[in-house]
Amino acid sequence: MATLETQQLDEVIVNSRRKLLSVGTTALAGLALAGISRAANAQATTLTDADYLNFALNLEYLEANFYNLAVNGVTIDKLPTPIAITGTGTQGTVTAKPSFAAVPFANTTIAAYAKETAIEETKHVSFLRTALGTSAVAQPAINLVDSFNALASGALGVSSFDPFANDANFLIGAFIFEDVGVTAYHGAAGSLTSAANLGAAVGIHAVEAYHAGLVRTAINIVDAGTGVLTGYTQKIAAFRSMLANPNGATTTTKTGSKADDIGIDNSQSVALQGTSATYASTTIIDADSNSIGFSRTPQQILAIVTRTSPTATTHTGVFFPAGLNGNVK
Amino acid sequence: MEKKINDLIDKALSRRSFLAGVGSASATALLAGCDHSSSAPPPTPTPTPTPTITDADILNFALNLEYLEAEFYLYAATGTGLAATDAGTGAGTTIVPTIKKVSFVTQAIAQYAVEIAQDELSHVRFLRSALTAAGAAPVARPNIDLTFFAPLATTAGIANGASFNPFADENSFLVGAFIFEDVGVTAYTGAATLLSSKTILSAAAGIQAVEAYHAAEIRTLIAGAAAQPGATQAWLTAANQVSTLRGSLGGGNETTLSINSIVAADTTNAIAFSRTTDQVLHIVYGAAGGAGLAKGGFFPSGLNGTIKKTAA
Repeated sequence: MATLETQQLDEVIVNSRRKLLSVGTTALAGLALAGISRAANAQATTLTDADYLNFALNLEYLEANFYNLAVNGVTIDKLPTPIAITGTGTQGTVTAKPSFAAVPFANTTIAAYAKETAIEETKHVSFLRTALGTSAVAQPAINLVDSFNALASGALGVSSFDPFANDANFLIGAFIFEDVGVTAYHGAAGSLTSAANLGAAVGIHAVEAYHAGLVRTAINIVDAGTGVLTGYTQKIAAFRSMLANPNGATTTTKTGSKADDIGIDNSQSVALQGTSATYASTTIIDADSNSIGFSRTPQQILAIVTRTSPTATTHTGVFFPAGLNGNVK
Repeated sequence: MEKKINDLIDKALSRRSFLAGVGSASATALLAGCDHSSSAPPPTPTPTPTPTITDADILNFALNLEYLEAEFYLYAATGTGLAATDAGTGAGTTIVPTIKKVSFVTQAIAQYAVEIAQDELSHVRFLRSALTAAGAAPVARPNIDLTFFAPLATTAGIANGASFNPFADENSFLVGAFIFEDVGVTAYTGAATLLSSKTILSAAAGIQAVEAYHAAEIRTLIAGAAAQPGATQAWLTAANQVSTLRGSLGGGNETTLSINSIVAADTTNAIAFSRTTDQVLHIVYGAAGGAGLAKGGFFPSGLNGTIKKTAA
C-alpha cells in the first residue's frame, strides 16, 4: 500500500530519472539508470532521435535478412539490387545454416506473405539508412542458426529449430520477430523529439503490427484447430515476456495473465456487453486488458533479442552475438 | 541500498509507463500530462479565435470512431449494440438493418468477430474512463447509421450495392469490417503527431497497433480466400472498390489489396498511411472534399465534440 510519502518519493525518483534521460547529467546516472547499459552510462549520453532510429535499424537488419534469406536465399547485401550494410560501428556478417537454401514453400499464399514482408522490411532498412545518412550504423553480426536453437530450447523445450525448413516453421520464425518489432517502435515513439521522426516511427510501428496481424492470422489458419502451432505461439510469447520482465510483468494481458505478451489462444471466451463470458473468442491480437498494444523499453527489447537481462551491462548473444551497433546496445 | 532504490524506481516507472488496469488511478496518470482540460478557458479575444485542439478533443474524436466500430462489431457478434452505460448520458440512437446479427458458418471467423468486438468495446471504455478521470467529459455516442453500408456500396460500385448488408453473411461482414479498420489505423497515425502528452501518445500508439492487427487480419482473410483455386473474386473486388472510394474521399492513402499486398502502406518506404481529421471525416460522412461538411454517412447528425466539421 503506497503511502503519500512513498508516492512523493516515487515522483521525485521518476522525475529525476526523466531529467537524467533528457539532459544526460552524470550525477546519479549510475544509480538511477541501472536499466540503461553501462556503455551508455559511462558516456552519460543523451539519447538522440538518431540513436533510437539506429536502434531500430539494427532490428530491421535482423528482420530484413531473415525474410530475404527465407524468400530469396540471400542476405540483403547480395540481392539483385544490393542494400548497403556499411556504417558506423562494427560491421558483421549473417550466419545461416551450411548450404543455405530459401524456404521450400509448399503453400503459395504463405510464400506471397513472405515475399511481401521481405520487400517491406528491406524498405525499412533503406528508409532508416537514408534518414540517418552518414550516422547510420553498419549491419552488426547476426546469427540465424544458434539463435533459433537457443530460443527453441528456452521456449519450446526442443534442442533445435530451423525456421527455414518449411512453411509452418517459417511462420513461427516470423512470429518470433513481429510482435517484438511492434513493442519496440511503441516504446521508442515517446522518446523521439522530432515530429517527422515520430510520424515515421508510428507509421513503421503500424506496418509491424500489420505484419504481426498477418502472421498470427496465417498461423491460426495453418494450425486449423489442432493447437500445435498456436501452442508454440503461447510458449514463445510467455518466453518473450519472461525475458523482458525477469522479475515478473506488471501489465495484464487481455486474457488476464500478468505478462506483456500473449500468443494465440482459441479457447478464450468473453462477456462483451453482457455480464457472463459466453462468447467464444481468440487472441489474434497481442494486447493488454484495455485492448491496447504493449510497449517495451529498448532494454527489454535487447533482453529478448540477445537473451540477457534487461539490466545486464552487456547485451550480446542469440541474434546479435557481438551486440548491436550504436548507442543503444 | 542501491538495489532497493532501483527497485523503487522500476516500480514507479512501471506504474506510470504501462497502462494496465484502467482503474481511475491509471486513467488519471494517463492524462496527467494533459492539462488542457483543467486550465481555465482563455479570455475571449476580439477576433474569432481559432479553436485550439487539445489532447482531450483528439481523444473524443477517436471515441466517436470507436463508438461506430464497437456498434458494428457488437451487433455482428451478438445482435445487440452498446449497453447504455457504455454509450454515455444523452447518447444518440443507432439505426440498424433488419438483419443485424451475422450467422457465421465458419467458427474461426465468428471468434475473430468476437475478439474485435471486445477490443473495440474496450477502447470505448478506456477512452471514456481516461477522459472522465481527467475531468474532460467524454462525448456520448452520437447518432449512428449502420444502414449506410448500402449507399456506400452503391457509390463504390459494388455489384448489387443497394442491397449490401454487412450483417447478411460472414463474407459481407468481412467487407464491412474492411471499411473501418484501415481508416482507424490512418486516423490514429495522423493523430499521433498532434498529441502533446507523451503518455497519451503511448496509449494512442497502442490502440493504433491494435487497429493495424485488426486490419491485417481482415485483409488476410479476404485476400486469402480469393487466392484459393477456383474461389470467387467478388469479395476481394468489393473490398478494393471500397478502398478506391476511401482514397477518393480521404486523400488517397490506399493500396490495392491482393495476396501479394496485404499491408496498407506507401510503396516507397513501406510506412503506413496517415490521415488528417478532415480526411477521416470525409470518409465517415461519405462525402468528398470541401469545407463545412459536418454530418452524413455513418453519422447522420455528425460527430460529438470539437472535431466534427471539415475545414477543407
